[in-house]
Amino acid sequence: MTKKSQSLLGMSFFGPALVLLCIFLFLPMILTLVFSFTDFFALNPNLIHFTGLSNYFEVFQDEDFVMAFLNTVKFVLIIVPCQCLGALGLAMLINKVTYCKKYFKVAFFIPVVMSLAVVSNLWIQIYSPEGIMNAILGFFGIEAQPFINSASQALPSIAFMSVWQGMGYQMIIFLGALQGINPALYEAADLDHASAWRKFIDITLPEIKPICIFVLITVTIGAFRMLVQPMVMTGGGPSHSTYTVVYDIYETGTVNWEIGMASTLAIVFAFFVMILTVIQNVVTRDKDEFNDKPRHNKRRMKSIGRMFVKDTEAEYVDQSREA
Amino acid sequence: MLTKAEKRKQIVLTALMIFASLFFLFPVIWMICNSFKTDAAITADMNSIRAFLPPAFTQDFFKNYIDILFGTKFMQYMGNTLLYAAILIVLGIIVNGLAGYALAKLKFPGRDKWMLVIMMLMIVPMETIITIHFLFIAKMGLLNTIVGYVLPGIVNPFNIYLFRQTFISLPDDIYEAAQLDHCSPMRYFFTMVLPMCKSVVATVAVFTFLGVWNDYLWPSLVFTSGDLLTAQIGLNAITANDNTTMGMTLAVITMVTIPVIIIYSFFSKQIVEGVVSTGGKEG
Repeated sequence: MTKKSQSLLGMSFFGPALVLLCIFLFLPMILTLVFSFTDFFALNPNLIHFTGLSNYFEVFQDEDFVMAFLNTVKFVLIIVPCQCLGALGLAMLINKVTYCKKYFKVAFFIPVVMSLAVVSNLWIQIYSPEGIMNAILGFFGIEAQPFINSASQALPSIAFMSVWQGMGYQMIIFLGALQGINPALYEAADLDHASAWRKFIDITLPEIKPICIFVLITVTIGAFRMLVQPMVMTGGGPSHSTYTVVYDIYETGTVNWEIGMASTLAIVFAFFVMILTVIQNVVTRDKDEFNDKPRHNKRRMKSIGRMFVKDTEAEYVDQSREA
Repeated sequence: MLTKAEKRKQIVLTALMIFASLFFLFPVIWMICNSFKTDAAITADMNSIRAFLPPAFTQDFFKNYIDILFGTKFMQYMGNTLLYAAILIVLGIIVNGLAGYALAKLKFPGRDKWMLVIMMLMIVPMETIITIHFLFIAKMGLLNTIVGYVLPGIVNPFNIYLFRQTFISLPDDIYEAAQLDHCSPMRYFFTMVLPMCKSVVATVAVFTFLGVWNDYLWPSLVFTSGDLLTAQIGLNAITANDNTTMGMTLAVITMVTIPVIIIYSFFSKQIVEGVVSTGGKEG
């Protein structure tokens, strides 16, 4: 086939996707950026002015947005440690168990399968004042709590539910990583009479570090994108205590039709998501170099480890770089 | 072989884990058991262990389910969702598959740059552009239509990437052999490439289905009312209705979960594959 006809063929194969990509990805991205500098109001599209950066200044003075941003940060601060540590703990326990392994994998994964709308509707019932959660608390002698009906408890209640729902997914990812660790490393450590804690710090954690970073990033971004749960369960309330950034984008853009403002919010949101990714990458990298120096024990383990895993490790790095 | 002491330790650990898993799953157990009860029974059982046990089997055992299936539009919502998922699966496999094939096997100007762009697009959070999608669809007058719902979801950078990674390892001699038989490239793609890569096609289909089934924000924007709602949005419409009892709510959310459980139990291999190769961002 000639070069020209092949490039024609290539373009015709890629064409349909390219057209859709342009209309529904590139164009919206460009428009979001452009609109973020205007006061575009979709119900009165003729009155559009270029307003420069004033939207961006306004955003940070807007009480709703500041509230939404603080709430989102709270969600992230509660969800990320609970979900990551919980998932890792579960994965390590399941990795230890020899009986009923398959049952445990399925059991802790079930909430992941349920959709956000289903889980939210279910937990509305569970959290209701006469609901089962209060009945269980009553059994332990704790008095009834208002949960999602009070401004102070709504956010932690929703965060708890999200952790419960999401944990199984990360558990499966961690489990895969744990099973990939070379058992020879642990045998070598046993010869050195290393304690369980030392083995965890010096073998398990370094070995699954790439997966840990990956899980941390995805969980953080997931928590940052919190929307459906407050939307279904509390409508952002009570008194805006569960209003999140994405909820604010949704309300400003599609309910109030203030596309200009909503675009600014979207840009700020995208900016923070990207910043988070960068920060986490930098922090996790520094920590490793920092920790490497004072611990000769670890270095010894690592050199033992390298004998066994060097090749597979190199392969893994190549793969992840390609991806 | 395990020694006796190790075996005992294992049994204790397993027993503790089973207890923990039951405690972990209490909302699900509660949901299923109480979906068969009347509201009076749910309230009466709340403070005893019977809250986690199904009621005795009587004539009215499935009453909540029958009320939902025949007393509401639930069946229609389920049918809608299956239809949208089918449309998106077919169109998505054609459009993204062709693009993936072009990026993997055909030489055209700027191919590698496009690949890079598509990988960068995977990072963009959808929430940032959903307002503009909504504006487009509203301006085109496609609100409350199936076309309006489906259109923005057809092309998916993840799926293009998945297809590309699979197609790139296809041997070139099959293509040359097909050319000797005067097989057109388009026919070659549909009759040879896709059947040879059944696994990735299944992965994309499963993820598209789960995406449509679990999506909440986009359908709630496009479908403002009426008979076109998806199961997730319809679920809210049903539970918000004053005539819906608590038992019926639990019954409807149990039923919405069933198709997903079926998908997960049949396609767990494809799901794991998709999670591994896209870095899990799609699920």
